Amino acid sequence: MLVPLAQNVVSGILVGALYGLAAVGLSLTFGVTKFLNVAHGELLMFGGYASFWAFTLLGVDPFLTLPTTLVFLGLMGVLLYKLLFSRMVKATEDVKVKNTMLIGFGLSLILQNVALRLWTANDRAITTSYSGMALTVFGVRLPVVRLANLVIALVCLVALHLFLQRTCTGKAIRATVEDWAAATLAGIDIDKVYLESFVLGAMLAGVAGALVGVGYSIVPTMGLEWTLIALIVMVLGGLGNIMGTFVGGIILGVTQSVTSYFAGGAYREVVGLLIFLLVLVFRPQGLFGTKQG
Amino acid sequence: MSKKAVALVALLVTLGLLAAFPLLVAAKSIVNLGCLVLLYIALASSWNILGGYTGQTNLGHAAFFGLGTLATRLLWLSGRPLWLSLLGGGSLAVVFALLIGIPAFRLRGAYFAIGTLALAQILYVTVGNVFPMLSALPSQVLANYQLLPRYYLFLGVAALTVTASYLLANSRLGLGMMAVREEEDAAESLGVSALKHKLVALSASAFLAGLAGGAFAYYHVGYYPQLPFSPVWTFDAVMMAYVGGTGTIVGPIVGGAFYVIVKEYLALKLVELHLIVFGILFILVVLFLPGGFVEAWAHLRKALARRAAQRQASLDSGERRAGPYQPGH
Amino acid sequence: MLEIEGVDAFYGDLQALWGISLHVDEGELVALIGPNGAGKTTTLHVISGLLPPSSGNVRFRGRDLTRERPDKIVAMGISQVPEGGRVFTGMTVLENLELGAFIPGARRHKEESLKRVFSIFPRLAERKNQRAGTLSGGERQMLAIARALMSKPTLLLLDEPSFGLAPLLVEQIFAMITEINAQGVTVLLVEQNVRAALELSHRAYVVENGRIVGEGSGTGLLSFESVRRAYLG
Repeated sequence: MLVPLAQNVVSGILVGALYGLAAVGLSLTFGVTKFLNVAHGELLMFGGYASFWAFTLLGVDPFLTLPTTLVFLGLMGVLLYKLLFSRMVKATEDVKVKNTMLIGFGLSLILQNVALRLWTANDRAITTSYSGMALTVFGVRLPVVRLANLVIALVCLVALHLFLQRTCTGKAIRATVEDWAAATLAGIDIDKVYLESFVLGAMLAGVAGALVGVGYSIVPTMGLEWTLIALIVMVLGGLGNIMGTFVGGIILGVTQSVTSYFAGGAYREVVGLLIFLLVLVFRPQGLFGTKQG
Repeated sequence: MSKKAVALVALLVTLGLLAAFPLLVAAKSIVNLGCLVLLYIALASSWNILGGYTGQTNLGHAAFFGLGTLATRLLWLSGRPLWLSLLGGGSLAVVFALLIGIPAFRLRGAYFAIGTLALAQILYVTVGNVFPMLSALPSQVLANYQLLPRYYLFLGVAALTVTASYLLANSRLGLGMMAVREEEDAAESLGVSALKHKLVALSASAFLAGLAGGAFAYYHVGYYPQLPFSPVWTFDAVMMAYVGGTGTIVGPIVGGAFYVIVKEYLALKLVELHLIVFGILFILVVLFLPGGFVEAWAHLRKALARRAAQRQASLDSGERRAGPYQPGH
Repeated sequence: MLEIEGVDAFYGDLQALWGISLHVDEGELVALIGPNGAGKTTTLHVISGLLPPSSGNVRFRGRDLTRERPDKIVAMGISQVPEGGRVFTGMTVLENLELGAFIPGARRHKEESLKRVFSIFPRLAERKNQRAGTLSGGERQMLAIARALMSKPTLLLLDEPSFGLAPLLVEQIFAMITEINAQGVTVLLVEQNVRAALELSHRAYVVENGRIVGEGSGTGLLSFESVRRAYLG
């Protein structure tokens, strides 16, 4: 009884790391710009396909193409920002959040259907030579690929943290989140900060997607599921809290796995959604966030 | 004739035409298309009551639609009369709406939208697990299946939804709903209970969507019970309402009809392309033309009126200048 | 150096400024005084680009900056210390100062500016690695002024720098402002503390109900009822 349960917990942690990574991107974008891009899941999906096609057509290992996936999603982010979202910069907060949500939702339909046309509705997975390898610790199976995903997710988060703490751009982003008027009076170009945050969010989504592609599978319709996951974890972890969001992802992953173990896999998605609703209504600042005035 | 009288006559003529339509057209496929248009009109209009007039973006509309199909199918196939089954569908939707309404309305704006989306998603997954089997019509029912009554049911539901929208929008309740949409806090301070108006709008929206669901359940021969709960129904309704023009009576009707036309036209060329087209239109509306087709139409009429007035003005001044010929001048 | 002509400004449908015209010459220390809600802060917002005027213009050293973005205006040499200072509480004193030197022109001279700022505000040097949120009110105000100086402004706008501070601190802050002005930075100061404002400044404008109702220096402005009341009150 203990080993299968432990297996579930471990699986939950491994997938939860990707949940966290996906959520951090959305949290960063939303925290800075208040743009609720509900096409985040579709950006993740495109990251997965970028990685998949680089592997299938060019034979390059998916972990090696992560930088190119980053660049590809970065460019997508710039394009989408300039074309669509940048027009919402001047709006008041409620209008910003609502309208960008609607734009994101139209965008998700477009991206999903473009992907369906281009790549069909079949599930794809990136299967490398080492995809089947696994370590076994105390009877618990740890697939090598998913372990690598966990490591990369952590690396990304540490890199993001350092970026925000140490670089000029990162500090400008933090200042804008705290007080955009004071930031602009200090000479910070708010439009540029918005663009940078949006692109960063897109890039993080792309990396998460690439990791999902190699550790699990991708399909054009996965966007909604992952957007919901990112939203759930973002709300769980509290806005602006990178570590909290990552832990929130792990919590969601483990909760889903353990629930599947006891109640069957059919209600996997439901438990996350229920937690989400409870947190939204009763503790909107999340498990780790601070109450904002 | 007064504006209201004109509108009433137009409505009756339209209804008459729509009622005569299936009798004049031979092809079943076109009548089926008509059913689809009417269904979409009903869905978009019912969403519009809460989403357009009251300004609460409900992304869980499919839940009401789905619950309507569930209750109606169950009741009808177990022998209950159709009218009772339909009522059951609408009622189940309202009961659910009221249950979740009060906690849901603690959320505002986009958080309400996402919360309702999550809620509908929970229902979608749950129904898929509890009712995984295809719901098929038993052979005797199948043998007696006739398209015409189903068309008229859709027409009735659509007409009821549009009429209810109209009556609500022009009532005192409607005024309150719009006040809540524009400035919720200001409305509250004037004594307009935001929660009460939101709940009324929610209930009307849910009931009518539930009826549409009932019509769907009566119409379809075989479908998976999970299907009507799919978020696609919500997204379609929202897009139709926006592209047509939220917060208007005509908007969802135009949006619904246009959607089906585009879908059918593009289906001839490339399947599913209509979603990309509509997605783009939707974004354009949100960014540049929040009032949708209705607003575009109003702009057009104003521009034409201005052009006509200018022409008239230049004609008048021209006449003054030109004056009758005076010899010697 | 700074010329404002016929500026009207609105918050939505509410008109806040009516035909504001004033000028600040190089090297001057000019004060805007007047009762609460008169439009003094709004005037500074217009200069800094936070609120575009509906009519009129703002010229700085001959350049029209009426509808420029706030960060561009900083790059042109105007820096504002907003009401309450508004330091970034989640960041350290040093990080706040570094952000003050964000514009490229100032970033190159960051070390030099830091030295200068620490010499004017030694207390900030002591606390440079502390989070700004842990500073006292007076220290935060000093940090806010120091941050504004980091962008190497030729015109410094100050919005109520003495607000909410103990009298001893108020004296210190005003001494520093005089020092900054003596070092060559032109200053436009919004102050509720009329006495101090009149003592410090070369000239002052009296603002009431969104309009400039008078201009003068020192005791010459005592003829205004509101000024007299504030001065003697």
